[in-house]
Amino acid sequence: MTENASLARRAVSRRWFLAGLSATALVATGCASESSGSSSSSSSSGSASASGSLSATGAAAAGSVAALAQAFYATLDDDQKATTLLEYSLSNAARWSNLPQGLITGGGTGGTGGGGTPPSGASGGTPPSGSAGGTPPSGAPGGGGSDSSGGAATGTSSGTGGSSQARVGINLGELSDKQLKAFYKLLKAATGTATGLGYAEVTAHLAADDYLEAHGGGDTYGRDNFYVALLGSPQDSGTWEFQFGGHHLAVANTYIDGKLVGATPSFRGIEPNGDFTQDGVKYNALRVKEAAFTALLAGLSSDQLATAKLSDVYTDLVLGPGKDWAFPTDHEGIQVSSLSARQKKLVLATIATYVNDIADADAATILKRYKSGLDDTYLAYSGTTALTEKNDYIRIDGPSVWIEFSMQAGIVLSGNHPHSVWRDRTTDYGGTQS
Amino acid sequence: MVRAVRRLAALVAVAVASLVAVVVMATAASAHVVPTSTIQLAVTDAHIVATVDIPLSDLEAATGLDLADETQADIDAHAQAIEAYLLGHFTPTSDDGQAWTVTEGSLTVGSAGNAATTGIYDELETTFTLTPPAGTDATEEESSFDLGYDAIVDKVATHTVIVTVASDATDADFDGAYEVGTVQRDTVTNKVEGLHIDLGSGGRESAVMDMVKLGMSHIKEGTDHQLFLLTLLLPAPLLARNRQWSTAVSARRAIHRITAITMSFTLGHSITLALGALGVPVPQQLVEAAIAVSILVAAAHAIRPLFPGREAAVAAAFGLVHGLAFSETLRALDLSGTHLVLALLGFNLGIEAMQLIVVALVLPPLIVLARRRGYSRFRVAAAIATAVAALGWLGARLGLANPVADLADQLGRIAAPAVLALWATVPALVLLRKRASVRLGQPMPNHRRLRRMRSGAVACIEFTKAPRPCRGAKSGRSALPQNNS
Repeated sequence: MTENASLARRAVSRRWFLAGLSATALVATGCASESSGSSSSSSSSGSASASGSLSATGAAAAGSVAALAQAFYATLDDDQKATTLLEYSLSNAARWSNLPQGLITGGGTGGTGGGGTPPSGASGGTPPSGSAGGTPPSGAPGGGGSDSSGGAATGTSSGTGGSSQARVGINLGELSDKQLKAFYKLLKAATGTATGLGYAEVTAHLAADDYLEAHGGGDTYGRDNFYVALLGSPQDSGTWEFQFGGHHLAVANTYIDGKLVGATPSFRGIEPNGDFTQDGVKYNALRVKEAAFTALLAGLSSDQLATAKLSDVYTDLVLGPGKDWAFPTDHEGIQVSSLSARQKKLVLATIATYVNDIADADAATILKRYKSGLDDTYLAYSGTTALTEKNDYIRIDGPSVWIEFSMQAGIVLSGNHPHSVWRDRTTDYGGTQS
Repeated sequence: MVRAVRRLAALVAVAVASLVAVVVMATAASAHVVPTSTIQLAVTDAHIVATVDIPLSDLEAATGLDLADETQADIDAHAQAIEAYLLGHFTPTSDDGQAWTVTEGSLTVGSAGNAATTGIYDELETTFTLTPPAGTDATEEESSFDLGYDAIVDKVATHTVIVTVASDATDADFDGAYEVGTVQRDTVTNKVEGLHIDLGSGGRESAVMDMVKLGMSHIKEGTDHQLFLLTLLLPAPLLARNRQWSTAVSARRAIHRITAITMSFTLGHSITLALGALGVPVPQQLVEAAIAVSILVAAAHAIRPLFPGREAAVAAAFGLVHGLAFSETLRALDLSGTHLVLALLGFNLGIEAMQLIVVALVLPPLIVLARRRGYSRFRVAAAIATAVAALGWLGARLGLANPVADLADQLGRIAAPAVLALWATVPALVLLRKRASVRLGQPMPNHRRLRRMRSGAVACIEFTKAPRPCRGAKSGRSALPQNNS
């Protein structure tokens, strides 16, 4: 090659590159200043944006949760796809809450789009941090979280508040009937067929939120405000999470190489608590769980109850949203090894009311693990054994299992309502700790 | 170097200063349905007045008192017991352990809460006057002390007390209420975490440090950002001649160039980081794709000089794009006001620090290797590998999933071994040279080499400690277009 020829070519390519360069810079700055007019509901993108290579077309066993996730994904349009399929990361996985999306102030402040942004007026509980002498309303929650000077940024395990960020993913209100059908099929496979638990319970749960919407809650409530996200590529290789949640609900199934490796943190609360009728159907969403807890405490002698009773008061869950990887070192209450065979069975049955919220075969595997650690598991409660009064609280804390149930005052309706969470000391978020 | 640091500091200062002017309040994040206590501190040069609000239901739970209908009369009826309880749980101390004097004001019942989240509830409001020990400098004692407050949280395991500084007469720079921390149980130990108060900058410093760490980890984990900068620096020690990379420039000149490129990159991303964090909407996917493009351009430039002498300008332009990506991290934290400014400062400092560490780790061996014959091959190979990774990322970020991108995402894992290998090459090369020269005898420096030696000799001798003229320092042959193959 002669020097001249290559010189000419290089000069051309150089100009091309410089032009491309400035064009890129222009595009970038242009887009940056353009206010997002898109109506996509990817508002909560925060740190959620997809990078790397995500796909929903990898190999997945027929009928598996991954395959059904792919089938659901295939029904979405391009915008919806981008909103639904997101990077697998702890920061995305940790975006769940007990609150309805509209009441999680701040959080996913990507806040540019429409969809999931909290309706204005919902932020009544935020401290006017600028005005000297302004009264931070006591409602201003969980403090340490995102509004403290960056403390939350480090994500220290001892979490400083129950703060959480807006959910990622797409809300059911954005989906067509056909898309919903594919979604419910996916949800059913992920949550299992146990009577009064799993899919049946979630169905009642969604109806309960529709009930709240119609009975004073307004459109902050209702199943339209529940979000589904696929974190990572749903397929039989690699890590991905099926994430679904909304008011009082968090489903978090993490799969690695086609196997379920964690089904927690799994949040279940309910308002209305007890029987209610929605669209002509009678429901009682957490009946099975609550009955198990009550039977468990009723099965203990007064001496055992005295050992199990905590001296502290619990107004809420210890390890609610935002309190990740912050399990207590010490187990409190009565050790299950000291219980009779019948009582042990009640403990296991209670644990099963949470574990059976996932696909039957997966549930059996996890339950086996919890059974093997049963003697080293502890049972503790606070308040009354009825578990119906405000501040009534019960906890099952084992080598890996962690279940809490806390009764609190009503918010939309009068009457108390419970929050509960199932976590796992080793497999929360499939073991992802950072 | 000192000058470089000074320039860096100046850049950051400018970025932050431009922010202060425009910062707006954003809503704070929250997600709790349970009422919390609050303590607002009003600081004067004689004492601190703490206004304490406590939800009555929690006060009942903690004290075991039955406040019946929670009216003012019910409170008054139990005033003594309540005051005794609260005084028993509010014992501020100086850092040397000396106890402060605490007096309590009257108890009043008010209403608080948010109908949608906590519900509306009754709360107790009272004030305490906290006075540092007699004979001490009150202002100094107040600047750093233990709050010593554990009312309610001692009994209600799930309760949180949010502590803010509402006003501070001892701080001329006071610019609005800020949170100094919370009092609550550490869920791991189930113990109440005592709150140490650092007025003014104290509490903020630690917050800034947190952000510095976040910024550092962001660069550490952001393989694409590192790759861009490193690839752009790859030909920095070389002279562009006849549209080819040819011989190495002097070490001083190389360092100068590297500094200029790094600084320009910093300037670029500082600007957009600030804008992005302030809420300018960022088209995430486009930015990510543009970053892949920037790496591609840097890789092409490392093979053939596309914009010799203008690397700094290009680094600045692409810095703008990378800054937009950085801002996503901050936006997710949803900070506002002073917190946002300090967070920006800290985050940017963290990014710079990590960047400098990466440059410091990689550049010295590069400068030495640039004087070796094999550098040209190494440079081209590295650039091509980088270009492939960038293409993979570009595809993935435009929605075209591919295994190259997956692989590129894993690049960070080999960073440490790669740096080690790089450092190891230097002595290895020197050893090889020694053996070769023993076997072949000392090569006679020719005219050309002698002329070039002047500029490169210093660095060469430093690294090889060879008493003889260092052949490797100059290789006229690297000017040959051997990268055409």
